[in-house]
Amino acid sequence: MPMTKSNLGDVWRVRNAAAQTLALAEEQVKRVIQAATVDDLVRMIEAYAPALSTGPEFTRTFDPLVERLWVWRDDETLAALAAVFRERGMPWASVVNALLPENGAAIRAALRQPAWARLPAFAVA
Amino acid sequence: MTLYRGIASIDRMREEIQGVRYREATETFCRLVTDEKKPLKGIIKEAIAAAAPFVQVPSHLMRLPTGEMRGVNYDHTILGWRGAVSLLEEIGGTRGILPSVQAMWYVPQGLNIWEQIICEFPGHYARDAEKCNAKVPDPHHEGDRFDGPAWTPPKIYFEDQDPIETGSVEERLERMSWAISEGERDEAYRLFLGLAKDPANRERLKDAILFSGIIDLQDTLINRGGYQNIGHKAIRARALVHLADYLGWENAHEVIYTVVPDLGCAPRLHGLWTEISNVLRMEVPKSATLPKRSDKPLTEAELDRLTEAIVWGGPFDVNSALLDLYKRGAGIQDAMDAVFVCFQRYLIDVLEHPSLFSHPTHALDYANVVQHWIRNFDNPHQAKGPFMAARFMNDTIRSNAIYPRDAKFTLEPRKAYKAWADGIAVDRMLPVIEEHVLAQDAPRACALVDSYLERTSERRQLLDVITYAGCHWQNDPHVMRNCSSSLEEYRSNRTPRRDDIIRGYAKHQSRYIKRAPTHDCYNVFVAHFQPTAH
Repeated sequence: MPMTKSNLGDVWRVRNAAAQTLALAEEQVKRVIQAATVDDLVRMIEAYAPALSTGPEFTRTFDPLVERLWVWRDDETLAALAAVFRERGMPWASVVNALLPENGAAIRAALRQPAWARLPAFAVA
Repeated sequence: MTLYRGIASIDRMREEIQGVRYREATETFCRLVTDEKKPLKGIIKEAIAAAAPFVQVPSHLMRLPTGEMRGVNYDHTILGWRGAVSLLEEIGGTRGILPSVQAMWYVPQGLNIWEQIICEFPGHYARDAEKCNAKVPDPHHEGDRFDGPAWTPPKIYFEDQDPIETGSVEERLERMSWAISEGERDEAYRLFLGLAKDPANRERLKDAILFSGIIDLQDTLINRGGYQNIGHKAIRARALVHLADYLGWENAHEVIYTVVPDLGCAPRLHGLWTEISNVLRMEVPKSATLPKRSDKPLTEAELDRLTEAIVWGGPFDVNSALLDLYKRGAGIQDAMDAVFVCFQRYLIDVLEHPSLFSHPTHALDYANVVQHWIRNFDNPHQAKGPFMAARFMNDTIRSNAIYPRDAKFTLEPRKAYKAWADGIAVDRMLPVIEEHVLAQDAPRACALVDSYLERTSERRQLLDVITYAGCHWQNDPHVMRNCSSSLEEYRSNRTPRRDDIIRGYAKHQSRYIKRAPTHDCYNVFVAHFQPTAH
C-alpha cells in the first residue's frame, strides 16, 4: 500500500482503536484475575502444558500472563501456585521458575508506567 | 594426564575404538600423527573403518514392553568426521587438527547405540542421557562403568555386502532411490556400492543420495517424541559425499557402509515432502525450470516478511512467503540464502535456554545440506529445497515454543554491553571474544561480535576465533558440524544480511549446552600438537 497522508492517519486511528480495545480487555482480565482462587489460577496455568496447549501462539502468552499475575496478585498467591506446580516435578520446572519471588521482583522492577499511559507497559504476545 | 606407552599403531587404535577406550584411542590417534608421522587422512579412514560395522541400529524406533515407542538416536561418529575434515581446511595449520582430535574422542563413545540405550554397552548415550550406572549399578565396579571400557564386543546389526552391478545406471539409480524410500536396506546399499565403483557415475550418485536424504524429514516434532529424524538422513548423506570426496572414492567403502544402510532405516518420513510437492505442483507448476539465481535479489521488506514467517509464523505462513518469492521471480538459491539468514534472528534474538539450541541447529545443518545440493547439482526438484528447510526451521521453533519459557534462563540483552565492547580497540578484540565464547558468556560475546562487525570489515579471523573456541568442548560432534555449516553458508550467502550468520554463530557457540564442562580432549590435543597462538 503506498503511504499517503490520509492512509497514515487511517492506520494510526486503527492502531489507537486496537490499543483502546486491548486496554478494555486488560481491565476485564485484571478484575477476573484478582477475583480468581488459587484453584482457578492453577487450572488456567495447566492449559500451558504442551499436550493441552492449542499451539505455540497460545504458549507464547505464558510470559504476559506471568507478568500480570505478579502485578495483580500478592506474593502469597504466587507462592501457593508455585507450591502446587513444584509438587508435579520436572515437567513444570519452567512454570515454577516463573513463579519464584526473584522472577516476580525482576518483573515488578522492569515494568514502567509512563505518566501518559493508562496501563503499565505489559508484554503483548 | 595419563601417559600411554607402547607403539602407536592402527591395530591398537582399532582395538581401543572397539573397546570403548576413548582416551587411549585419542592418544594413539595423536601419536600416529606426531610420533609415527602417518598421514592424517589415512588415520581418519582407519578410524572410520574401525567403527563402521558397529554404528547401525535395527530401527530408530524401539518398541517398549508397554507397546509405546521410543526414539533411537542416529550414528554421530561420521558427522564428527565430516565436520572435522571440513574444519581442517577452515581453521588451517596445527590448530585445524583440533576438530579431528575431538571427532576421534567421540568415536569410541558412539558405537552400538541400541545396546547403549538398553544399558548393555558403554558410551555417551548410556552414560549421560540414559544414566545407566544409576539404573543398573554394579557394586563391584568403581566409578561409572558406562564410561568404558566395554565388557563385551560391540554388536553388528548390518553385515557388509557385495555390490550389485547388473542393470543400466539409470535403472540402478532409480531402484536405489526407491529401495531407500521403501526401507530395502540391503538392496539400496548393494546398488550404491556397485554404482560407486565407476567414477563416471559419481556425480549422479551424489545427487541421488543427497536427494534421498533431503526428502526424508518429519512434518513436525511437536509432541512426537522419537518419531522423527531431525534431518539426520540428509546430514548423513552430506557426510558421505564430503568424506568420500576427501578420502577418495576408492578409499570410501567404510564411509559408504556407515551411511547408506541407515538411509533406509525406519522410520522413513515423506509426509512433508509430499505436502511441498503438492503445494508447488498447484502454485508453481513450472518449478523445475526456476533459475538458481535471478537478477532480482530479495528486498529488505521480503527478508522481514520471511523472518516473521519462519520465526513467529506457522507452516502456511512459511509456504506463502516462499511462494510469493518464486512468483515474483526469485531464484532457488536466492530463496535458500534468505531462509538461512532469516532463521538467524531466532538464534540472535529469541533463544535463551542452552538446551533449546539442539533442534533448531539440526535444522540449520539440514539447510546447509539443501543449499549444498542446490549449489552443486542440477535436479528438477530443487525448488522444493527452501520449503523443506524453512518448514523444518519453523517447526523446531514452534516445537520449542510449545513449552513455557523458563525465566531462570533469561539472558541479559547484548546491547547492555555495547558501550563496554565499543571501548575495546578493534585490534585487541579477538582474544577477548575468544575468552567470552570460552566462558559461555553469550551477552558479552555477542556484544563484542556486534561491535567488531560494525567497526571493521575483517571477517576471516573473527570466524576462525569463534570456531576454534567452539571446538574446545568434547563429546559432541554437533559442534564441528554446526561450525562447518555456518562457515560454508556465510561464505556463499548473497543477502545484505549475511553478517547475521556470524551474529547467530557467536550466540550459538557461546550458549549451546555442553556435554562436558571439561577440556580433557583439548588438553590431549595441546600436549601432542602444541598449537601456536592465533
